[in-house]
Amino acid sequence: MIYEQTQHDLLPHATHDEQARQNFVQSLKVHLATSVSPGNKAVYEKRAKPRFERENKRVPQDRHDVRRVMKDEPYYQTWSALLRTSQEMMWDSVATSVERQLPALIERAKRNGKTSGSLTLNPSMPIPAYHTAVDIHCQPGAYHTETTTDDVAAGAIYDRAVHVYAMGRLGPMNDDLGASLAAYVKHQYPNFRPHKILDMGCSVGHSTIPYVDTYPEAEVYAIEIGAPMLRYAHARAEVLGKPVHFSQQNAEHTNFADGSFDLIVSHILLHETSSTAIRNIIRECYRLLKPGGMMFHVEVPQYHGMDPYDSFILDWDTYNNNEPFWGTLHDMDLVELATSGGFAQKNVIQTAIPSAFKTARSRTGLFQGGDFGGGGEWFVFGAVK
Amino acid sequence: MAKKAKGKKPTFFADPQVDKLMAIVMALAGEVSVLRERLDTVERLAENKGLLSRQEIEAYRPNPQAAEEREQWRTEYVRRVLRVVREELEAVERGETTPESYEAAIQAVSS
Repeated sequence: MIYEQTQHDLLPHATHDEQARQNFVQSLKVHLATSVSPGNKAVYEKRAKPRFERENKRVPQDRHDVRRVMKDEPYYQTWSALLRTSQEMMWDSVATSVERQLPALIERAKRNGKTSGSLTLNPSMPIPAYHTAVDIHCQPGAYHTETTTDDVAAGAIYDRAVHVYAMGRLGPMNDDLGASLAAYVKHQYPNFRPHKILDMGCSVGHSTIPYVDTYPEAEVYAIEIGAPMLRYAHARAEVLGKPVHFSQQNAEHTNFADGSFDLIVSHILLHETSSTAIRNIIRECYRLLKPGGMMFHVEVPQYHGMDPYDSFILDWDTYNNNEPFWGTLHDMDLVELATSGGFAQKNVIQTAIPSAFKTARSRTGLFQGGDFGGGGEWFVFGAVK
Repeated sequence: MAKKAKGKKPTFFADPQVDKLMAIVMALAGEVSVLRERLDTVERLAENKGLLSRQEIEAYRPNPQAAEEREQWRTEYVRRVLRVVREELEAVERGETTPESYEAAIQAVSS
């Protein structure tokens, strides 16, 4: 089942062969997630775990024990090699398509928009080391690299590749993370009327747009470190007719005044930071929120209380997909993190929320590497100031 | 535009050459899929234009000569795909499976 992505005016066009290449990657990923990856559990239970117990005279304690014994299993090796290959093929199939039409995309992005949204870039802003050490999730050049004037390539690549990566399960506009959280906040706090909303680490603004729709009377701001992402995000929001104020800022230290926002959100941002940065970001959220304001961060579940095998299979990206902070984040004590940033312990929220894209097919009901969105729900970490 | 993501690429098999081979095989599998989709498009367009019907394609039965030509093509194709297996056997038959056997040839022309 291939889901069509909405061909908005900024989305790169694919030739017949480019589209077929991307379709193949998506079909390969669905097959790996539904038919190959779940077999790793049987391999673990029937072969790897007994071998670990024989060799160590104890049961595997955590994801590290499981990883050490699974890395020698041929089935796991094959799945891993196929999944890593699918990731590289995904970026390649999209990047070659974007590169072919980049001048036209840049021109389209420059067109004046219809809304009152804005774009503010800051070329002197340093790109943090946790985004330059390796290219996050193997996107060549990551979020920030520019190779030409007014470059939008990273954004164009990301918008299309996210759809392939999630196998269409983020919806035709890739907006499920934002749509799910916005729906949760609206449902949970029906009397909450935010005037100003901030989305941190917005990339192409695909998760930002649902807040414009859910709270049409609010001013929506979005920050991101990568200029090519922001140029694309701004132009994308404009062609969609959604006013958003985009600016190039690091979420650790922004230029907004104290108490600027009623609602601060992020979507799969936290796992792409660092142990130092995440504390700065939570502290910055506290500073930026008005009293009574709320922050919510969408991720996949924490490892605490999870079976060692389940945390191991969800941890694949830490070691194999250039997500170096993924595992560390998922082991963190989030209550301690929130309180260290200034929030009261009783005001910390950790919960699972359902995906807004309820009709998505090919869901596995699992949280596993290479199966983003397969679980049908998201993990939310939040706090009220 | 950079093609490789910054960061050391992991390998999973005992011999990293197998990882490379897997990536090459999957790239080929991808291109087969691309060709298949293009052919599918050609068939559907041809059908829309009334040039042929896809039922005709399904119902097509090669005459004896065409069947023979196809069989020859398939035989050659399988031979090409499995070339390394055939060559492995030839090497065994000639006794050329050890590094020393080739080094002897170098010695023979160098001394």
